[in-house]
Amino acid sequence: MTTPLLLGVLAGAILSGTSLLYATLGETLVERSGLVNLGLEGLLLIGASVGFSVTAVTGSAWLGLAAAAMAGGLANLLFGWLVVTRKANQLASGLAMMFFGFGVSALVGAPHVGAVITGLPKWRPSWLAGLPWVQATTLFNYDLLTWLAIPVALLVWWCLFRTRWGLGVRAVGESPGAAFASGRDPATLQFQALAAGGVLAGLAGAHLSLSLTLTWAEYMTAGRGFIAIALVIFSKWNPMRAVAGALLFGGAEALQLQLQARGSLISPFLLDMTPYLLTLLVLLAWGGARRLAAPASLGRTFYGSD
Amino acid sequence: MKQLFRFIVVLCAALLGLAATPGFAQTPRLIIGAIYVGSTNDYGYNKSFHDALAQVARELPGVKVIEAENVPESADAERVMEGMIQQGARLIFPTSFGHKDFARKVAKRHRDVAFEHPGDGKTESNFGVFFGSTQIAWYAMGVGAGKMTRSHKLGFVIGMPIGYALGNVNAFQMGARSVNAKARTVVVVTGGWSDKAKEAGAANALLDQGCDVVAMHVDSPATVIQTVEARGGMSIGFQSIEARALAPKGWITGLGFTWAPFIKEVAQSVLAGKFRGEATYQGLGGMVAIAPFGSAVPAEVQKLVNDAATRIKKGFNPFTGPLLDNAGNTALPMGASIGNDQMGNFNWYVEGVIGKVR
Repeated sequence: MTTPLLLGVLAGAILSGTSLLYATLGETLVERSGLVNLGLEGLLLIGASVGFSVTAVTGSAWLGLAAAAMAGGLANLLFGWLVVTRKANQLASGLAMMFFGFGVSALVGAPHVGAVITGLPKWRPSWLAGLPWVQATTLFNYDLLTWLAIPVALLVWWCLFRTRWGLGVRAVGESPGAAFASGRDPATLQFQALAAGGVLAGLAGAHLSLSLTLTWAEYMTAGRGFIAIALVIFSKWNPMRAVAGALLFGGAEALQLQLQARGSLISPFLLDMTPYLLTLLVLLAWGGARRLAAPASLGRTFYGSD
Repeated sequence: MKQLFRFIVVLCAALLGLAATPGFAQTPRLIIGAIYVGSTNDYGYNKSFHDALAQVARELPGVKVIEAENVPESADAERVMEGMIQQGARLIFPTSFGHKDFARKVAKRHRDVAFEHPGDGKTESNFGVFFGSTQIAWYAMGVGAGKMTRSHKLGFVIGMPIGYALGNVNAFQMGARSVNAKARTVVVVTGGWSDKAKEAGAANALLDQGCDVVAMHVDSPATVIQTVEARGGMSIGFQSIEARALAPKGWITGLGFTWAPFIKEVAQSVLAGKFRGEATYQGLGGMVAIAPFGSAVPAEVQKLVNDAATRIKKGFNPFTGPLLDNAGNTALPMGASIGNDQMGNFNWYVEGVIGKVR
């Protein structure tokens, strides 16, 4: 029995979009506070590797998930120490964090390559399983992270746009001097945003290793961290638009795999480019509007208000 | 007191140094060095070499193995091999295809050290090449898949459409067709040898499109096998015959490498001072073996697979003309055949494969 193309693409988009969404939400929080962390790819790897290793050692995917979240948060705090406390260049520090992530994740994961783990439990409500086509696909058979993906996006949106804390974070991202003058401490808010963003990125990595692939391999993220950074721009720093972005990019990857599996005679090399072509197109199309949406002080170091 | 302490430290250091020099401990007759591009517990290619070397070290007295994991395919590999030679290695296995150029450079500098590289190219007095030819053996896998499938659609996930991978797919389809006229093989290319998330996506896509048996040619079979197992599909493994542990229900069988007999032979020739760099390509029965069958495979299917394997060991070659490609053109004329040394040259899919090479 073959599944209709669109349903297959949707199913694949949700699976591979989950980690993209968590990573994008994490980076959105960080960028809203005025910091750019180009090391997101490294954060995902750390999350994937720590999550897998802890699961392999303890036998509990929940402990692995918690450890991945913590590791992501800690790694982002290290980044914060570099760029907020030490006022180092954000782009260079981000790239350094990326390579740091490559190395640390390889080191942590090496003893556990090939371990067989029980991943995060999946759960499908029985009334949904009865819908036509659903039984034969992965639709609605999700782990906790996928079920909570949209609620978490809502939560991030609510925190950013409906709480005093979020107002503070956004104020720091727009103008740290003004935020400082109004009695807020930019460094504290940035560290808080980094910690929360790191936790989300750690969860994104953990979803790859603990649910989607059930393995750890060096550099298994294969560029997803960078796609997530592009997605932040795509979604104009808005957590709810990030949901659409993650689905779209997850869908581009799913589409090319589904097309191949359906036997469409399009070059696999051409199909393989679609997610990246889409990234380029989006950056191109959004190019002019970028100034309107990006936090005004994004990437600038705040040296204090004299 | 302080001087006494110093004296003891120096004495200990001297003793340690003495113990480390060959001659004090039992001197190995031969040290074999092996470098791996990844980790040796990957349920895949690297593990197959690691296990074989460990077996040879057990079976040949006086043979010691030194290994280095995660050696990149760069000039770093040269440094690691030089280090092994300084530690006394007289036989080196640079196990990744991409270690080739660096191993050849080191081999030129050390004519007294033997090298065996799993790949192809020119042989030299101290540089041999070898590989397990899996392509023809995949025919037997196809027989198993063709018999087990109920949807008559088989899936095959490959990393890149290189000749060796296409050969695997082609033989698989021909084997399936030999027992099931309706069998077709759908190929999905992920674009990398270790893009795990895409491997999961590819396996899911194949199952979505109605394939019920999935085979793969990627670095480690773990992700594809586990994804298929979770959705109740069947799988055929590759690279390591131990991958069966990943699929208690859906495992049919698989192909793995058995390098130990070859490595043992090479080690013995080095010990005897008779090493010559040669090109050695062996298929089923040599460097390639069939994994144990899964519990769901009926005895008659097992017999068909084993019969096909026996025919292959006796010299049966499915790549014998006339063969059509999947666009209906003649790919191999009557009377022509493709041997084990030309498996990297495939640039076409055989009739019945659904996919496009480029």
